[in-house]
Order: sequence, then C-alpha cells, then structure tokens
Amino acid sequence: MPKNKRYSSSLNNRKQSTGGGPLIVFCIISVLLLTFYIREGETGPIHAVRSGVTTITSPIRFLGGAIATPFDALGNAFTNLTASQETLDELKAQNAELTARVAELSEADASAKRLEELLGLRSTYNLQSTAARIVGASSDAWSQTVTIDKGSVDGMEPNMPVCNSAGVIGQIIEVGANTSTVRLITDENSGVSAMVQATRAQGMLQGQPDGTLRLEYITTDSDVQEGDIIVTSGIGGVYPKGLPLGTVTSVTSASNDIYYTVMVSAAASAENNEEVLVITSLTDEQVASDDDVAAANDAPQGGSRDAQTQDDASSDTSDDDSDTQDSDGTGEEE
Amino acid sequence: MAYMDTPQTSRSLAMLAIVCCVLQVALAPQISVFGGRINFMLILAGVVALSEDAQKAVITAFFAGLFYDLTAAVPVGLMSLLLSVGAFVLAHASGSAGSGLSPLSMQFFSVFALAVSLINGVALMILGSEGSIVAALFSHGLTSAIITSIVAIPFMMLYRGSEATHRSFSSRGGSRFKGIR
Repeated sequence: MPKNKRYSSSLNNRKQSTGGGPLIVFCIISVLLLTFYIREGETGPIHAVRSGVTTITSPIRFLGGAIATPFDALGNAFTNLTASQETLDELKAQNAELTARVAELSEADASAKRLEELLGLRSTYNLQSTAARIVGASSDAWSQTVTIDKGSVDGMEPNMPVCNSAGVIGQIIEVGANTSTVRLITDENSGVSAMVQATRAQGMLQGQPDGTLRLEYITTDSDVQEGDIIVTSGIGGVYPKGLPLGTVTSVTSASNDIYYTVMVSAAASAENNEEVLVITSLTDEQVASDDDVAAANDAPQGGSRDAQTQDDASSDTSDDDSDTQDSDGTGEEE
Repeated sequence: MAYMDTPQTSRSLAMLAIVCCVLQVALAPQISVFGGRINFMLILAGVVALSEDAQKAVITAFFAGLFYDLTAAVPVGLMSLLLSVGAFVLAHASGSAGSGLSPLSMQFFSVFALAVSLINGVALMILGSEGSIVAALFSHGLTSAIITSIVAIPFMMLYRGSEATHRSFSSRGGSRFKGIR
C-alpha cells in the first residue's frame, strides 16, 4: 500500500461514496436472511450459523456473567432501598415468622443438603435430566431468555423443559454446541399447559409483555383462589405433569366474563449462575394419559377443592415416589 | 485535497468494532434498565455513520446488525436491515454534525437510536416475537434507545474516525470540508 494513498484529488471524503450500492446489496441480503430464517423453522443453515456464533462467543458470555454476578447483589440492595413501607412491614412480619422456623429447619436443612448431595436435583422430581448452569440473560430487550452452559454436545435439544429446585423456568428454543437458549415462562411467547393444583381446573399459563404470568382459559365456574398453586398439567406433552409453575396472586372477573383473569407469581426465577435441570425425556407417569386428557376436556373447570385434596392424599399414599412434588405442594397449601 | 483510509483509521475502527462486539456479548445481557437493554451494535453503527463516509457506515452497520441478530434471540436479518438503512440515512443527514461528541451529533445519534429501536419493536411485533405494541415501543424500544444513547457518549468522545486524524481545522457553519488537510 503506498503511503501517500490517503491523498486523493477529491475534496470531500464523505461525498466520495454515497453508499447507495452497498445499501441496496445489504438490504437484499438482510431481507433474504430474514425470509430464510422465518421459513427454515428450528433447524437450518441460519440457525446453524447462529449456533456457531453462540459457541464462539460463549467464553465471552461466561466471562460477562461471572463478572456481573457480584453486581446482582448491588441491584438487590438498590431494590430494597426503594421498597415501599407496606413491603417493608410485610417483610418484617415474614422475618419474624421465618426466624422462629430457622432453628427447626436448620436440622432439616443439614439433612436435606446431605440428601441432595446423594440424590441430586433430578431425584427430587424423579426426572430424567441433565444439570446445567445459567450463564447469561437475553442480550435484547424484546425477549426473556437465558443461556445455559449445556448444548448439543451434552444432548440438549429444542423444546426440552428447564426447571430449577423451585419449579419450571422455561423451555429450550435454540441449541448451540455447548450452550442453549432457554425461553422463560414469563416471555410473552411462552405458553404452558397448567392447572390449579387444588381443583385441577385446566388453563394455559401465558407470559405477559411486562414479565408477569397470567393463567388463561380458567372458566368462571372454576374454584380458584388467591394462593392456589399452579402446576404443569402435562397435557402439552412437553412439560412433565405436577411441576410447580407459580402461585395465584389475584383472581378477577368482570360481569358476563367467561374466564377469570388469574395473575400468577412465578415459582422459579432465573438468576445468573444458578443451577438448573434440563429435562431430557419424560417417563410414562410424567406424561398426561389419555384419561387425563379426556378428564380435562370433560371438566376443564376442575372439581371441588375438598374432593381433590382427598384424591391427592390417596394418590400420595399409593405412589409416593412418582408424585413427590404433588404431595409436597398439597402439604404446603394445607 | 482529501484523504483516504489510513492504517491508523482502520485500526481505530477495528478496535471500536471489537470493543462493541465484546460488550454486546458480555455486558449487554447483564444490564436491563426498565425493560431496556444497551445495544452496542447500534452504538457502533451510529458512531461510524457520524464519523465516516456513507459506504463505510453501511458496511459496518450491516455486519454490526448481523452480529446482533446472531447473538440474540431475534429474527436474523432484521437488525442488519435496520442498521444498514439507518446508518445510511444518518451518514448523509449528519454532514454538518461531524464526528466526536457535540450537541448536534448527540441529537442525530439519539434520533437514529430511537428510530431503529422503535421500528425494531414494531417489526418484532409484526413478526410475532412481541405481543404488545405498548411494550414493544415504550417498555423496550424507548428505554433501549435512551440507555443506548447515554452509553454511546463515551464512544462518540473517543472515536473520531478518519476525519479527526486528518483534520487541521474544525468545520464551521455546516462546512462539509472536514477532511482537508
């Protein structure tokens, strides 16, 4: 390259090129990419390229997640500073109650930790699963996703459910070689077949644009109350039935409404660096049977609260191993 | 006489691109303010469009957008399209704004960031990735544009592109002869 290349006869560099040619070319390429991306479904060359880029950039993503972890505590501190008086009063009451239970639970906690080490998280839910760790969140503002540190090399596949010890957090939507993208249940494109644990009223847990959850299609003749636990129904065939999704925070309906507006607080949160379980396959007991589907279709509004409690109790005694979560949830509710 | 690219200019641009790419992957996912996230690829495209010629701005913007599309859970091709068009318009519209941080360049960048973010939100809604127009425009689009514009300030201060490396006097009164030595 000649050293005096930078001198030319043109007066204005910004006017040298209008950029019209490259603009047209790149616009055409972009539109083609967009079209192919939409048409190719979940697998295809563009998704493969994205997986490659995700794989290449994953070390930087891991690094960013590791660096940001200490600052999460700072964010929580700020949130606490801006909490309302009502929230603080509620927290004080909770604190008093929890303090009383600390001594009792300390022994149980030590025991539970030992058991967890032995059994692992997967045995808690009797799930065929792989443990993974959240290493990053969505880099765009329009979707609620997290990245986990397991990919196709580890047997991850799209649509696999992901949960943590508190409950379901989402579903894998894209898989790279060593990372996967998980769409959270709070994403507005997420929908999970769900039911009210106490009454078996069937609905669809839908993420909302503001990051909240709404249980939809709960008919007004259903028995739903604030505090009810929402669990997966297993009818969709993706999530195992009985996993906790959240707790009902409000139930409202206007006159002449067919469905309740049921707001749900998510049971699980997806914090950075947190361990999660990716459910790799479902057992027959975890998939809704034909009878379950038929019952859900016949009585989407569910049954009475007392009858379901008795049913749960009887099923718990007959099948303790396979329905651990159900029995736990029912116990807490009572 | 004007100038063409020097190795120094290319190095500056490469450095800016690398820094923005690293921050986009490492930092952007970690920071969310009122539903908005920093788009470092938009910053890269905007800063280059303010400092370089339109051709270089369009090329940089396309690849910046493509990188964004490939590292986020969004439709591939959308941000590259928006940034390419946006950078082209910005490069031509900001003739008198010049590179570096100035009230005028900040105004141009903010309008660019706002337009790209809002159109992106609407496009995502049309493509089915976003369900609510209010959330698309205000919760995500507007807040993303605002925080991106704020974060862009140091980048605009530090990167002056090919103009600054050759400029011996400032442009005044909207003069476009900023590259003359």
